[in-house]
Amino acid sequence: MGTVKRTEETDDRPPASLEETIADGGTIAGDEASADTPFGTVSSGTMSRRDRYEMLVNEWVVAPFKILWSDWRARVGSLIILAYVLMGTVGVRVVDPPRVGEGDRLVSPFEDLSHPLGTDNMGNDIFAQIVHATPPMLEMIVAGAVFTTVMAVVVGTLSGYKGGRTDQLLMTFNDILMTIPGLPLVIVIAVILEPRSPWLVGVIITVNAWAGLARAIRSQVLTLREESYVEASRLMGISTPQIVMKDIMPGLMPYILVNFVNSARSVIFASVGLYFLGILPFTELNWGVMMNLSYETGGALYTWETAHWLLAPMITIVILSFGLILFSQGTDRVFNPRVRARHTSAADPEEGDDDMSGEVATHIRG
Amino acid sequence: MSKTDDTQTPTTAGTRTGTGTDRTSIRVDDPIMEIRNASVTFDMERGESRVLDDVSLDIERDEILGIVGESGSGKSMFASALLDAVVNPGILSGEVTYRPRGDAEVDVLGLSPEELRELRWEEISMVFQGAQSSFNPTITIRAHFEETIEAHNYNMEQAMAHARELLSDLYMDPDRVLDSYPHELSGGMQQRTLIALSLVLEPNVLVMDEPTAALDLLMQRSILSLLEDLQEKYDLSIVFITHDLPLVAGLADRLAVMYAFEFVEVGPAGDLIGNPTHPYTRSLLKAVPNLDTPLAEMRPIDGMAPDPVDVPQGCSYHPRCPLADETCRAEDPAYHSVSPDHQSACFHWEDSAEAIPLSTGGDERGGGDGEMRAFAGNQSDEPVVSLENVDVHFDQVADGGLLSVFQEPDTVHAVDDISLDVYENDVVTLVGESGCGKTTLGKAVIGAQRPTDGTVAYRGQDIWEAKDSRRGADIPYEHIRRSLQMIHQDPGSSLNPNRKVQASLEAPLKRWEPDMDPDDRQERILSLLEYVGMSPPGDYAQRYPHQLSGGEKQRVALIRALLMNPDVILADEAVSALDVSLRVEVMDLMLELQDLFDTSYVFISHNLSNARYFSGKAGGRIGVMYLGELVEIGPAEQIINDPQHPYTKVLRWSTADLDIEETVEDPPLRGIDIPDPVDPPSGCRFHTRCPEAREACTREQPTLGGHGDGTEHETACFREYDESHEYWDSEPVVEDDADATADDESGSWGHANE
Repeated sequence: MGTVKRTEETDDRPPASLEETIADGGTIAGDEASADTPFGTVSSGTMSRRDRYEMLVNEWVVAPFKILWSDWRARVGSLIILAYVLMGTVGVRVVDPPRVGEGDRLVSPFEDLSHPLGTDNMGNDIFAQIVHATPPMLEMIVAGAVFTTVMAVVVGTLSGYKGGRTDQLLMTFNDILMTIPGLPLVIVIAVILEPRSPWLVGVIITVNAWAGLARAIRSQVLTLREESYVEASRLMGISTPQIVMKDIMPGLMPYILVNFVNSARSVIFASVGLYFLGILPFTELNWGVMMNLSYETGGALYTWETAHWLLAPMITIVILSFGLILFSQGTDRVFNPRVRARHTSAADPEEGDDDMSGEVATHIRG
Repeated sequence: MSKTDDTQTPTTAGTRTGTGTDRTSIRVDDPIMEIRNASVTFDMERGESRVLDDVSLDIERDEILGIVGESGSGKSMFASALLDAVVNPGILSGEVTYRPRGDAEVDVLGLSPEELRELRWEEISMVFQGAQSSFNPTITIRAHFEETIEAHNYNMEQAMAHARELLSDLYMDPDRVLDSYPHELSGGMQQRTLIALSLVLEPNVLVMDEPTAALDLLMQRSILSLLEDLQEKYDLSIVFITHDLPLVAGLADRLAVMYAFEFVEVGPAGDLIGNPTHPYTRSLLKAVPNLDTPLAEMRPIDGMAPDPVDVPQGCSYHPRCPLADETCRAEDPAYHSVSPDHQSACFHWEDSAEAIPLSTGGDERGGGDGEMRAFAGNQSDEPVVSLENVDVHFDQVADGGLLSVFQEPDTVHAVDDISLDVYENDVVTLVGESGCGKTTLGKAVIGAQRPTDGTVAYRGQDIWEAKDSRRGADIPYEHIRRSLQMIHQDPGSSLNPNRKVQASLEAPLKRWEPDMDPDDRQERILSLLEYVGMSPPGDYAQRYPHQLSGGEKQRVALIRALLMNPDVILADEAVSALDVSLRVEVMDLMLELQDLFDTSYVFISHNLSNARYFSGKAGGRIGVMYLGELVEIGPAEQIINDPQHPYTKVLRWSTADLDIEETVEDPPLRGIDIPDPVDPPSGCRFHTRCPEAREACTREQPTLGGHGDGTEHETACFREYDESHEYWDSEPVVEDDADATADDESGSWGHANE
């Protein structure tokens, strides 16, 4: 990297601490490693803290972002997600909350500029309803997706890497969760708890959804842990959490990310479905509740007059889900070292991309 | 078709412009296949990649043509071109003509898909590398044969009879093999079965792409000797593609050496080995570890093979060639006839013998610095690591599901009662066939594998005791862990693909010297990278493993192990996956670093030549393992030049020499397949295959030191015992000893030797 300032090896600094440690161990007599061996070299140039942070930012923020941006699916997907996030944060401040009778009943969409998506049978603005249903929806999605992913990753890697008794116990528990049918379980829990907080709803919906993912991750860990570089790390005495973080997880990341986004989608569908069925208590506006009302009180399935009331939340859900799919397809590139290599060097203006030579050639050589 | 008399003179040598030079001079009298100006190109982002560059070659009827080249030299592409099987999006141009008997001519590239399907397998068939992946694991071998026969509308009965004949020609029991599933056969048997399968439709040409690369040397040699018989019996023309020059040297009638996607030298095997004229061939011969060349003569080839997108102007070898001059840089040499059937694509073919001497002679190769160090191991008195009566057994879980709980698990005796001391600055090389327990023993030495029985001590401290008790040990486990490191076999998986070289190398330093200044850490890594020849180091440090070549990855793995400043490094087949021309270089580097860092190596290899080079140069020992036991151990040159144990002799036989006179002969052993390690033979474990076995061997087990004459060279064989031993009075083991073959694989060399 161009940011590294270094000079040739110098003799004026004390030899690096390695020789001292050797002496401590008392195993090898003498200080045979003098300053002219590679072990004795010391840096005389310094890299400031700032430079180092810059490098880290470059590697962990700028480069992944560039990779993401270079893929059109991820670009479109992240724009869609960003739009929903804006809708949930800025939108709720800009758009007034819907009030009964603020407009005429059942105004069709695109007729009246003050009610762009029309109104429902009580005169509530549909656009405002959709906007104000966004924050709880996003909270639910985040809660559910994070819960699923974290549980699956923790259980999966722990049981895969540790093996033995830990593996047996965790997998037995996991298998039990997998065999319980999800929907009835969620219904029972929802009835008992009557959850109101969207965060809690998100967790309840995914209460046993992580079990399948945990098993899949475990089997991936089982193959990764046999890799030579993992064994090398073990032999170097590197601690298990470090090995899991540095050697195992990066190999799983594409898979985990894709599943994170997929579980976000399944949270949307499940919550909307449950609200539509009326199993979860309606306290706040929700796209599922809107669809339920349009169907129950507006008969939206049978008449065109109220169809927009049903279609508007439906399309909102479809677009968000579509955005998430595109995003997840784009993300697996972020962790691909081949793609990364191209972009980290491109992020550094002093380094040409000539370091790619020879790499592509290996693809086609028999 | 152009005439035969062109391009014999340098005047017709064209420069590489557009379609390239005319190199159509390699001809034979009765070709079964003619390849003219064949090129394969791939369109890539970086430009057009030419992976076969205007190649012309004839294959003579009923010959064995050996094609030799490093990986990435285009040899597999040549094989694909022969069958018009270049994968998309590669584009094949040129002419490939197949001449069956008579005057018929088939233009392979002009065939319709249906005709091509018929040509393949029925006329020209191919054997691939890696038999495991060539079989469908879900159907039996019989089904594979039947499927092939049916697909080509052959008479099933006749063809199956032929299949049986082929299988027995390859020393296998047809009934047993046909009813097996692929996984039930050993690697060597799978490969032989694959050969039988490729011959079942009686093709005229057999193309073999590294058919033995995944096998043990012993099995390689055995298959080669079978090939020679098959070739004679069925009048085959064989194209044998390999990276291993010594392997085909004795087998092939003609050899063709590939470099940078074209043939640089073609000639009769004897001529080419005895009098190679292309500088690349000469350097390659010097670079290949073997058993005959004096150690000081072996040299790696400097530089790297070119990138297919950017092949150098003029002669593609000129950047690495000590003879290169202006002409070489500007013009692509045409073939020069050394003798009527020996062609060399070099302007300086007459001078190459002087510039790159092959046999003894003190003069240095041009351009080389001539520095040749002897790495004498100054071994200490006290062992660093000491193994005493170590056993490692694995329980093989039977796949009986729930019921397996009630079964006694099969125990694999991976290592059985081995004692071994590793000293400071020592080099111990373990040699043996795959599955003989070399890796397990190596891992036991560095404390990565807990022994079932016996002790492993590091400077007198039992490693596993230190680990279990944590405190109270004289030498803490942490220290032991740090002192015993490992380099893995497969460069592809030895580095974390998601981490840059720098991050991989920082890990050990961060772990063991957390206080180290980040700048010093960086500096140390960079200077080590530079030291092992990876410059500019700053650039390499920022690369991901996929941007490194195999040799470079192994270097990084070596640095990573050395950063721990270990006392012992286990190098598990560390050079086996590298190209032959690189092996010597990497081994030299390892030995040089040994001098610098005072480490000992336990080097594992299935290849006696590598073992000889590595141990021999460092004055170390070679230990020969068979079925979990150490059967012979001693100084490298003694083991190579004066092997005592019959098994060592077999290994010695299996290691191909560059000696062209020596034809592939039958091996000095009775069975080619290793007995099952779950149920090893009684007495001396080698008695089932040993040509010298007598009754006594089946009952009693010889030991390493029991008969010692005080030297370092020890052999576990009764033939080393004095004459009072009962071995000398007992009867030789009879050939059809039922006991000997009961657990053995069906293959037996018995009939071959009689």
